[in-house]
Amino acid sequence: MKNIIIAIVLCCFASTTLAETITILNNGKVGGSFNARSQMYKDGLEARGFQVEFENIGKIGQAVKIFKETDKPTIMVYSTNQVYKQDLFHTQDNFVLLEYEQPMWICKTLDSLDKSGKVTVAHGKGYETDIIKKVLGTDIVLVPYKNSSAILNGILAGDVDAAVNNQGKSLKYEASGQGTCEASSVLPVMQATVIGKNIDVKQMREVLLAVTYDDKFANYHSSRKLARPTASAEQELQNINQKQKGWKIN
Amino acid sequence: MGQPCVEFSTSILTQIVVILMMGELLAVLTGLLAGTLTGIVPGAGVLVAMIIATPLLMGFDIIQLLLFYMSLASMVQFTGTIPAVYLGIPGETNSLPAVVEGTKFTKRAKAKLAIGISALGSVLGSLIAVLITFVLISVLINHVSMFFANTLKFYLYVFIIIFCLTVYNRGNILVNAPLCLLGFALSMPGESDITPGFRYTFGMEDMQFGVPLITVLIGLLIVPTAFSMLKYDIKRNIDADHNIPFKYTFFYFIRKCIPSSLRGSVIGYLCGFVPGVSTVLATNASYSVEKKLSKKTPARLLVASETANNSGQFASMLPLLLIGIPITGSEVVLYSLLVDAGWSPFQFDRVDLNAEIIFKTIVPWFVFANLVGLLVAWPLAKKTLAILSLPTKYMVVVLVASMLILNSYLGYIDYRLGFYSVCLIVFVITGYFLKKYETIPLIFMFILGNEIEAVFLRQWLI
Repeated sequence: MKNIIIAIVLCCFASTTLAETITILNNGKVGGSFNARSQMYKDGLEARGFQVEFENIGKIGQAVKIFKETDKPTIMVYSTNQVYKQDLFHTQDNFVLLEYEQPMWICKTLDSLDKSGKVTVAHGKGYETDIIKKVLGTDIVLVPYKNSSAILNGILAGDVDAAVNNQGKSLKYEASGQGTCEASSVLPVMQATVIGKNIDVKQMREVLLAVTYDDKFANYHSSRKLARPTASAEQELQNINQKQKGWKIN
Repeated sequence: MGQPCVEFSTSILTQIVVILMMGELLAVLTGLLAGTLTGIVPGAGVLVAMIIATPLLMGFDIIQLLLFYMSLASMVQFTGTIPAVYLGIPGETNSLPAVVEGTKFTKRAKAKLAIGISALGSVLGSLIAVLITFVLISVLINHVSMFFANTLKFYLYVFIIIFCLTVYNRGNILVNAPLCLLGFALSMPGESDITPGFRYTFGMEDMQFGVPLITVLIGLLIVPTAFSMLKYDIKRNIDADHNIPFKYTFFYFIRKCIPSSLRGSVIGYLCGFVPGVSTVLATNASYSVEKKLSKKTPARLLVASETANNSGQFASMLPLLLIGIPITGSEVVLYSLLVDAGWSPFQFDRVDLNAEIIFKTIVPWFVFANLVGLLVAWPLAKKTLAILSLPTKYMVVVLVASMLILNSYLGYIDYRLGFYSVCLIVFVITGYFLKKYETIPLIFMFILGNEIEAVFLRQWLI
């Protein structure tokens, strides 16, 4: 009996020590895509036996700072529109996977379709204004907004005639019936990624790729019409390094 | 087979509801406790209470934050009357009419009557505010997208700036303008709402996340408040007060104060929407109107102003709850905490949800908070006042120690402890030199500076 108890206790200890511990830096706020994705990766990793330390940071800048300094096995959801601002780029050492990519959209109000003269265009504060002018012409007035929600509200309230916004908010605007939207093939593509530190990125990629095929993730991607590229890690990284240049800040 | 499954699900659902209710109850009770203390401590206010409670609030979710604030702000309206009437000291800035009229009761040893009718008027004012909101809510929701318009925000912020320049520090623009400018300058470093990258960081990485809010609030708001607390010499004349039966007070209120209370509710509700001043304007406007109507009836004057206070308090929360525009100093702090907790009131599809939260979650607890307020501010008024038996100097020491711990804790979890400490020292010294002034204009501009800059730029572009 005594031996059985010792064996059970040893098994418990063994299982505890074998469980791999990983930190997820949640850099998003409740209701946002970064937060939702971080939560789904947490659930997926826990379901696969990982012990996850979930750190709610809430601010991307703060999370990047911690990511750069940490010596613990850590992963973090990330996107290409942040790399120049945060000065943290995708490399062979930190790149885990490319989860999805989405084009930028251009929405126009119904009233603006016949408008002559200068057109006011709402855009995110980090967008490259020269490219927007290349697409919409130089006879426009660019109106900066803090984020995609603020852009959506601006165009809904009638502040502007047009807006450059992400896919989710543009589809929402189209659904309101106040205007039309279309995906741009010229504006930079936003790529959602996962990066890691102090981990075996190849091994983690296998695990996280499997997580992204879980029901939760599949529903998340399909309901938002998010395109999932399938390629090798090297090809994905090459693709990212090429497309992230569109987000360069002047 | 299906029956146990249904029972099991129902049981889990019940447990979830109970857990959620417990979380809400915790937020309401802590808000009520904080409100009780804040109301009776001279010089303290809702804004100061919000800052002191920050570590607790950081662990709260959105609903808990809203409930805490609602309970705190409601309770302060009740308990602020106690020191105003008994001691002639305004617990809150909007308790001044209560000081003038309440002391007339105290001189005749009838302070308990004054406290009782004020508390009854406050409850009535709160309930009428809820009723008016219920009637008008569909109109508000149908026209809510107009509140997103940059032009509306532009005029609202122009009003707030004019208000900051002309109301505080006895309307001295020469004092208020530099305070506003300093607040605006402090809001500049770090991330902007309209430009990419970080600005005015002076090569310091810690500056990328801006000047820490808590250090500014402690240095430039709490420090001057602590100095003003030291000035009070509290004289207690509670023992001389007559014991007036509850029944007498209740019927006194019914017979003499109902019309004043109804007038106060409507005036207070309308004034509650005015940015920056809401309850202060509500109390004083109602008091002024009542003075014309019932010149020499202190009971009516007192009830009219106290009713308006509570009605205005509820109304002042509506712009924030419905469309995310904070209109008072304490709401600005709440707003920042709500955003940190993931709140996104500007979502087009969330206005209905916000209205639903108001009536399904906030209003029932609001009624509960008012009933507790009635109890604390009326039958338990003397016991509540006993808290003030602690010498003011000790209270200041406790306050200072709490602030140091709070600053260090927030700096630690923000990975900027050294930066927080340096900022605290700088702002405490600045706060010492500004102790004679009301620093609210500075705080307003510091918190709203980025948003105001963006709205003004867009208005110019559009």
